[in-house]
Amino acid sequence: MCGIAGLHLKDHALRERLGSMVTGMLRGVAERGPDSAGVAIHDPGGLRVRKDVGDPLAFADRIDLAGQTGLRALAHTRMATESAVTAAHCHPFVAGTAPAADGSPAPPGGMPLDGTELCLVHNGSFANHATIRRRLAAAGVTTETDNDSEVAARYLAARLGAGDDLAAALRRLTATFDGFFTLAVTTADSFAVVRDPIGCKPAIIAETDQWVAMVSEYRALLGLPGLADATVFEPEPEEVYLWAS
Amino acid sequence: MSRYEMMSRYEMMSRYEMMSRYEMMSRDDAIDGSPVHHTFGPPVIAGIRERAELGRYPIRGWGARRAVPDFDDLLLLTASASRYPLEGYRERCDTRTVLGARRAARPVVLDIPITIAGMSFGSLSANAKEALGRAASQVGTSTTTGDGGMTPEERSASRTLVYQCLPSRYGFNPVDLRAADAVEIVLGQGAKPGGGGMLLGQKVGARVAGMRTLPEGVDQRSASRHPDWTGPDDLKIKIEEIREATDWQVPVYVKIGATRVDHDVRLAVAAGADVVVVDGMQGGTGATQDAFIEHTGIPTLAAVRLAADALADLGLTGDVGLIISGGVRTGADVAKALALGADAVSLGVAPLIALGCNAPTYRLPAAGEPAGAGAGIEVDVSAEYTALGTAPGHCTHCHTGACPVGITTQDDALAARLDPALGARRVANYLRALAMETTMLARACGKSDVHRLEPEDLVALTVEAAAMARVPLAGTDWIPGR
Repeated sequence: MCGIAGLHLKDHALRERLGSMVTGMLRGVAERGPDSAGVAIHDPGGLRVRKDVGDPLAFADRIDLAGQTGLRALAHTRMATESAVTAAHCHPFVAGTAPAADGSPAPPGGMPLDGTELCLVHNGSFANHATIRRRLAAAGVTTETDNDSEVAARYLAARLGAGDDLAAALRRLTATFDGFFTLAVTTADSFAVVRDPIGCKPAIIAETDQWVAMVSEYRALLGLPGLADATVFEPEPEEVYLWAS
Repeated sequence: MSRYEMMSRYEMMSRYEMMSRYEMMSRDDAIDGSPVHHTFGPPVIAGIRERAELGRYPIRGWGARRAVPDFDDLLLLTASASRYPLEGYRERCDTRTVLGARRAARPVVLDIPITIAGMSFGSLSANAKEALGRAASQVGTSTTTGDGGMTPEERSASRTLVYQCLPSRYGFNPVDLRAADAVEIVLGQGAKPGGGGMLLGQKVGARVAGMRTLPEGVDQRSASRHPDWTGPDDLKIKIEEIREATDWQVPVYVKIGATRVDHDVRLAVAAGADVVVVDGMQGGTGATQDAFIEHTGIPTLAAVRLAADALADLGLTGDVGLIISGGVRTGADVAKALALGADAVSLGVAPLIALGCNAPTYRLPAAGEPAGAGAGIEVDVSAEYTALGTAPGHCTHCHTGACPVGITTQDDALAARLDPALGARRVANYLRALAMETTMLARACGKSDVHRLEPEDLVALTVEAAAMARVPLAGTDWIPGR
């Protein structure tokens, strides 16, 4: 029901080209999600998140995605399943992971960006997010929308806030959430991909010495520099793939 | 006219139980065109005449006959495009159920979330108790003793046996207590919340009387209150006593008949329950006054949601187990009960039916044939139902001890009609089928574990059910009262 793309630069010399690389990737998955689009870009200056309803390609033009710089990015095109098509329901979902001073779980979104954020894009749908949302709420972690993917972002952020590393949090997520999903997740220093235990939603990873890219469609890789020499594979179900800078 | 309105005219059907509701309707409608009297209809007249003749209340077995909102009034929203189903048979859907892990060193671990409820030796024959124990063991679940104690047959046949601690204290002793895999303190029962048990003299045979230290052949009335407790304060002390006697090894359940469920679940937890068992008004009995069965307690559908919400409000969902009973019959009932928040369900009447209750015949292995190996012999006992004033499919005469199929009896000749191995095979088949139905529905909802069903997987067919279960009326987003 969506198209997702993620790009993690190993070679920081490509920083100026990140925007154009992600634009090509977004174009390649645009047909999977005509309702809305969004990007999260991690740059040394901070995290930039833009999202909006409407045609993803027009969105990319509107925000001058091709001109953006950064070291890591997520992009998402959405075909809504159960929740509304609004800017608030667009991916990437961003959740703060820093625990409060008193040790209580990470506060919900809407907080000023503080560099601890986790960003998540999701292709698929969860089948038990209502129960997990209630469990999170009981632990003081609230959600801003009724979107199922936001629950995953809050869950991961809460786990990171509780001390899990990202790989452990993602493994815990696959054991806790039902439904079909490919998730791409970024933090200030990491990029990770995980699929559901059946591996129903598509995912392709391409990796070179300069970058690693994850997309929903093979064609979304076309145009990436050095693709001919990339290692291209479909990630295994339930396995956590993680790259850290 | 709604189903409930229709049935309210026919609550008292003791003389009419051979007729179906619909036969009665057509019969009424055909009386010379004269209007049916709602207040004093034919079943009411029959009930008044019965009381006038006997000078006492009617007593019977089973649970409420009247139609109340139940699991049939809910539907599951299975997967389609916005969610995805799991494949049957090859994609995982777990049914493992752990109860009482909060405090007990040895929690109850079941292969399926479907258990067998407490039914006494006395109410049931020893063969029936053994068959239920064997069946539960075959499918990896638990069975439960009852008012009257633990028999050796039942203990040895049952992999996981829950030992009831009841107000009567019949058959309750420290030796059997320490032989149990869990202890269930019974505050009440859905068929008669606030009432004590009853075992009529014809079922108080030598063995039953010995276990209960009672004279043979005398009607037995169990207490409605345990001498050791009347509220959660005393109960807390009692639970500590039981924990010490069992060395903190096994879980302690507290069973309540569903009335003031929110309060009672909270108090059971306050008293230290590891598992709360909530028995709705459709829950069965071996012998209870009809007025109790039909006019007390609340439907299981309402009870499960109240209990689950109370545990959620305490932040104890999953920590304190919730078992629901009262009218659970099918895998669909199980799936809906789990979706509403139960960790497991408990069945009483339904496994008895699987054993042969209300069948026109009983079966025994043929001479020299191992049980279950062949068709065996089949004997028609329809005439014995007729002699009881009932018919196969309508019998609730458990209290008489004259069970034509040898289940609710202490008569040796009748009890011999139930072969424990053959009976166990049928009950095990039934429980397996329920588990398969439950996983089939859970998979169709995209769940890899039946315990991941949730209220959001349900809608209600009626306003009443929507209000009780607090799920939306089908086709709307309306939950009455919200």
